Amino acid sequence: MVQFTLPRNSKITKGKAWNPPAKGAEPGRWREYRIYRYDPETGENPRVDTYWVDMNECGPMILDALLWIKNKIDPTLTFRRSCREGVCGSCSMNIDGTNTLACTMHAEEARGAAIAVYPLPHMPVIKDLVPDMTQFYAQHREIEPWLKTDSPTPQKEWRQSHEDREKLDGLYECILCACCSTACPSYWWNGDRYLGPAILLQANRWVEDSRDERTGERLDDLEDPFRLYRCHTILNCTKACPKGLNPAAAIANLKRKMVERT
Amino acid sequence: MATPLKRIRGLGAAHHGTETFWRQRLTAVANVPLVIFLIWFVVSHAGASYDKVRECLANPVVAVLMLALIWSAAIHMRIGLREIIEDYVHTKMCKTVSLMAVTFFAALVGLASTLAILKISFGS
Repeated sequence: MVQFTLPRNSKITKGKAWNPPAKGAEPGRWREYRIYRYDPETGENPRVDTYWVDMNECGPMILDALLWIKNKIDPTLTFRRSCREGVCGSCSMNIDGTNTLACTMHAEEARGAAIAVYPLPHMPVIKDLVPDMTQFYAQHREIEPWLKTDSPTPQKEWRQSHEDREKLDGLYECILCACCSTACPSYWWNGDRYLGPAILLQANRWVEDSRDERTGERLDDLEDPFRLYRCHTILNCTKACPKGLNPAAAIANLKRKMVERT
Repeated sequence: MATPLKRIRGLGAAHHGTETFWRQRLTAVANVPLVIFLIWFVVSHAGASYDKVRECLANPVVAVLMLALIWSAAIHMRIGLREIIEDYVHTKMCKTVSLMAVTFFAALVGLASTLAILKISFGS
């Protein structure tokens, strides 16, 4: 059965308050962060630690706050980050209840006074805010995300009209941050068999590519009650995507293609 | 220990599912006018006598629409229940038994309702 409660060793315990501001501190200067912490080496259950970030010193983004905490308060806080401008997808995490990128979310956008920061939901946690993406990447490999052709390779390049290139808009921009897949309940319950919105959007990107000559083969590999049809059009994926893409529309397009060829 | 790729490939693509997807949409579309018809029928016969309702149900057009509703709804229900079990029930034995049970349930509802309509239509 689907598990509706966390396993005993994953239950979250109360953590430590690291740097509570002094009494009488300037109002609005310190922003509270409640951050998920887990260290596999200690054998302890995960906990939620509380930090206060000095907004006079720190940049406006959530990633700025995490880096400020790591540099000034607690160097053991672990998270992925790289480009800090929303193009690499490394810093995807669950912030204030929504999957998004820490580098493109303003602290001011958070609804609560205390900002909750957790790893992407329903993924195995390696440490703190770092999820294990092995399965996600294997699923990406499974759809063979590269150009597949049978025609002789042209001397110079595979040509594509402007109209055909436009069909890839809204698809090629995906940065594989996994915000959409890990926001999807179908992926939570059946992530081992359902490919999830991110991977299906990628699959649709190659199905739509005018230069790719293996469309039928690609659709064959997707036609499965779990791989594709576990999508129940919940639309959490579209709501979560930090790049403003629409994975649900991409999945609908794949389903339409499946029906077309019957 | 299986490699990640081996794990997610599992037993491979089943190469079906589109027919079920299409049938679910088709029955959903059919259910809209049929359910409206059912509501209209129930509302317009509110307070009518038992014999009057039986007489109306025996009308061939009404009986055919009622039968269409029953089968469309039963097929739709069976697909929906199956989806729910596949989503949430992962224990092999429990899943197999549940899938059989929902199929039997949908067939039973469909057959019993069909029999009722036919009996009324043929006046027995």
